[in-house]
Amino acid sequence: MFPYIIKRLLQSIPTLLIVITLSFFLMRLAPGGPFDGERKLPPEIEANLLAAYNMDQPLFMQFVDYLGGIAQGDFGPSFKYKDFSVSDLIWSGFPVSLELGMWAMLLAVILGVLIGCYAALHQNTRWDYLMMGGAMAGIAIPNFVMAPILTLVFGVYLSWLPVGGWNDGALSNKVLPILALALPQIAYIARMTRGSMIEVLGSHFIRTAKAKGLTATKVIQKHALKAALLPVVSYLGPATAGIITGSVVIEQIFGIPGIGRYFVQAALNRDYTLVMGTVVFYGGLIILFNLVVDIIYGLLDPQIRYEN
Amino acid sequence: MSTQPFVIEQSSAVKQNHQSQQPILEVDNLHVDFNLHTGTVSAVKGVSFNLHKGETLALVGESGSGKSVTSMSILQLLPNLVSHPKGQIRYDGLDLLRAEEKQLCRVRGDRIAMVFQEPMTSLNPLQTIEMQVAEVLIEHKAMTKQQAQPRVLELFELVGIPNPKARLKAYPHELSGGQRQRVMIAMALACEPDILIADEPTTALDVTIQAQIMELLKDLQDRFGMAILFITHDLGVVHHFADRVCVMRYGEIVEQGITTQVFNDPKHPYTRELLDSEPKGKKSAVSPSSPILLEAKDIRVEFPIRTGFFSRITDSVKAVNNISLKLREGQTLGIVGESGSGKSTLGKALLRLISSEGKIQFEDEAIDVKDMLEMRPLRRRMQVVFQDPFGSLSPRMTVAEVIAEGLKVHEPLFNARQRDQAVCQSLEEVDLDPALRNRYPHEFSGGQRQRIAIARAMVLKPKFLLLDEPTSALDRSVQVKVVELLRDLQKKHALTYLFISHDLAVVKALSDEVIVMQNGNVVEQGSAEQIFQNPKEIYTQQLLAAAFDLELVEEQPQLACV
Repeated sequence: MFPYIIKRLLQSIPTLLIVITLSFFLMRLAPGGPFDGERKLPPEIEANLLAAYNMDQPLFMQFVDYLGGIAQGDFGPSFKYKDFSVSDLIWSGFPVSLELGMWAMLLAVILGVLIGCYAALHQNTRWDYLMMGGAMAGIAIPNFVMAPILTLVFGVYLSWLPVGGWNDGALSNKVLPILALALPQIAYIARMTRGSMIEVLGSHFIRTAKAKGLTATKVIQKHALKAALLPVVSYLGPATAGIITGSVVIEQIFGIPGIGRYFVQAALNRDYTLVMGTVVFYGGLIILFNLVVDIIYGLLDPQIRYEN
Repeated sequence: MSTQPFVIEQSSAVKQNHQSQQPILEVDNLHVDFNLHTGTVSAVKGVSFNLHKGETLALVGESGSGKSVTSMSILQLLPNLVSHPKGQIRYDGLDLLRAEEKQLCRVRGDRIAMVFQEPMTSLNPLQTIEMQVAEVLIEHKAMTKQQAQPRVLELFELVGIPNPKARLKAYPHELSGGQRQRVMIAMALACEPDILIADEPTTALDVTIQAQIMELLKDLQDRFGMAILFITHDLGVVHHFADRVCVMRYGEIVEQGITTQVFNDPKHPYTRELLDSEPKGKKSAVSPSSPILLEAKDIRVEFPIRTGFFSRITDSVKAVNNISLKLREGQTLGIVGESGSGKSTLGKALLRLISSEGKIQFEDEAIDVKDMLEMRPLRRRMQVVFQDPFGSLSPRMTVAEVIAEGLKVHEPLFNARQRDQAVCQSLEEVDLDPALRNRYPHEFSGGQRQRIAIARAMVLKPKFLLLDEPTSALDRSVQVKVVELLRDLQKKHALTYLFISHDLAVVKALSDEVIVMQNGNVVEQGSAEQIFQNPKEIYTQQLLAAAFDLELVEEQPQLACV
């Protein structure tokens, strides 16, 4: 197992390198720059600024410099927030984003699995159709539509919850963003659980379990559930990516001071280093989480053997 | 802690006079309906039989006869869309068809246990085999997992799992098919049931293992005195193991009686047909001056095993190890072996569907040096028919499209009418009505589909056919007809066959020459007559014994642990 983990981590280096290279050059291809404003800067000041940020060198040299910095864990200074390094900004936003993401993920897995199992066990009944119809809608409606609808209903019409802001992480402020973030994932996991549960319930080893004299409840608890959840576990990797990209939009809509909001603003401001830093950080996070998911999967399914 | 609540004892004197006893299980006028949304289909129509203590009753029939549905009804293991409009299944004062779930759970696994047809998928892949067997004891005998362990160990020894202590924590995928079926049997015997239902317990296994499992069941029955209800399509097995037999067709029992009487003096014409459905006849010899069509020398196929940090090739599996063969025009070469023997790999290598080492000569050309593109024009003359008639035809193409596809490649100048003509001709050749050519494969039975697969190969007018287990998935009576068809086609078109099979009866009926393979090596090679009449090697003798006479096998000690 350990050599496998090392191998996977080493394999992630080229992946990250491609992510860094692509985003570095794409960012520079976009028109405008970090020092463009309403008023044109005097040329000598601009030249000074460019020199200060190492931007007077050829693009390729800048890229090499940047890579060198990352290799030492240095994401460079932010162009916009002049007194902060990119690392500072990421670490200040990360706890908020992490909290949001973790809750959304937890909610998605628990509700998704419960709904999926219920629908599978009541296959082709009214409840099944209702839940799967709802799940279809949940997948189809993008979160930037869902979020304003939730705000409108629960924040404006019903006035149960605040329409936005973080308020130092008060519970009432968290409910709507977490819900908006989790809904598409709940829907997806529910559909997936239902499908795999129905398939497992029709399999031969479930028939064996029944023939042993186990009650219907025990058959599901002890035999069907674990097998049915395997595909859900392998979906958790992509789900992380989904929640991270979702959080970028959701944090912006609800005005939450997480990494996602920095990311959007940095892109608009052409804050090159901050954009790059967030991309690399998120990329690493997704790779790491996929590895964790693969390891969990290996622990659950004895048929998966990691070559060492 | 009481660690040995019961010990396995030898029970004796079980085979008393059945007739005088009260039957232990009574199936009375059983009806089974499948309520599909297209309508109701009756799978079983008024089946009645009794099972006595200690006896073996066989339900025999071909696929679709309702024998499995009958056996599944006893423990109520059929899906929800099934109903029983009429009939009773009486066990211990209980009508199992109308029993409550709670009552059924007490009977299942404890008093009546079942072994299924599919050893590969009938065990939970995510649980250790110890846990799966222990679960029955935990459920019915109120044991803890620790208390159950010695009993599980005892059961594993009983069913002949080698080195049982080390195997306790094994997962199903770490066991062979035969071992998995032994685990299933251990599970079924855990509570010493009154009745064991065995639904085709050996169909998915190799012949030598089949014989061992049957001997095991027989032995265990002698010791514990349970009744066995045995469901099978294999009359050879019935003949050896069943006391009484019920022959089923279309959901009804057509004949019922003592096995020896039914076999010696079958009353119903269908029973006679079944008994008669062993493939018969012999291949007429080909003149020795007939030109050589295919010659292969020292064929080797190796599959690399990659290990280590950089996935280096550290070792390899020799799937085919230095095999040479010669095939004359009009001849049939039978390749016989059990699963994993490398017979299919050899077939694929000879057609250059996979890469191999060694020289291969087809007609006048050395084909081992040709790449896939250069092979393409030759493919027309060398065609394949595969084992699985259900999986090897595209479900989204009509039969005509399936058959015509090869023509599009090899006869690009044909117009639609010419193609259609060729399709009709080849369908007629395999005795299928050309009017059916616009239907989809799922509308045909297994035997018809295999005919379609043969027509698909024949439409290109090949000289050489690779037949990879073409009859294995078919019922015996259908097999006989496919064998006849293959023989007729060979005679008519002077075809050359490479016939791969584990079924010795079919190989015997079709082949001039036979190669017996084991673990990638040739065990014995020679004319069919020589191999079947006078086998030299022990392995060949065992294979023949297992196929034609089950009882001889148990005396072979080297096969005891599979």
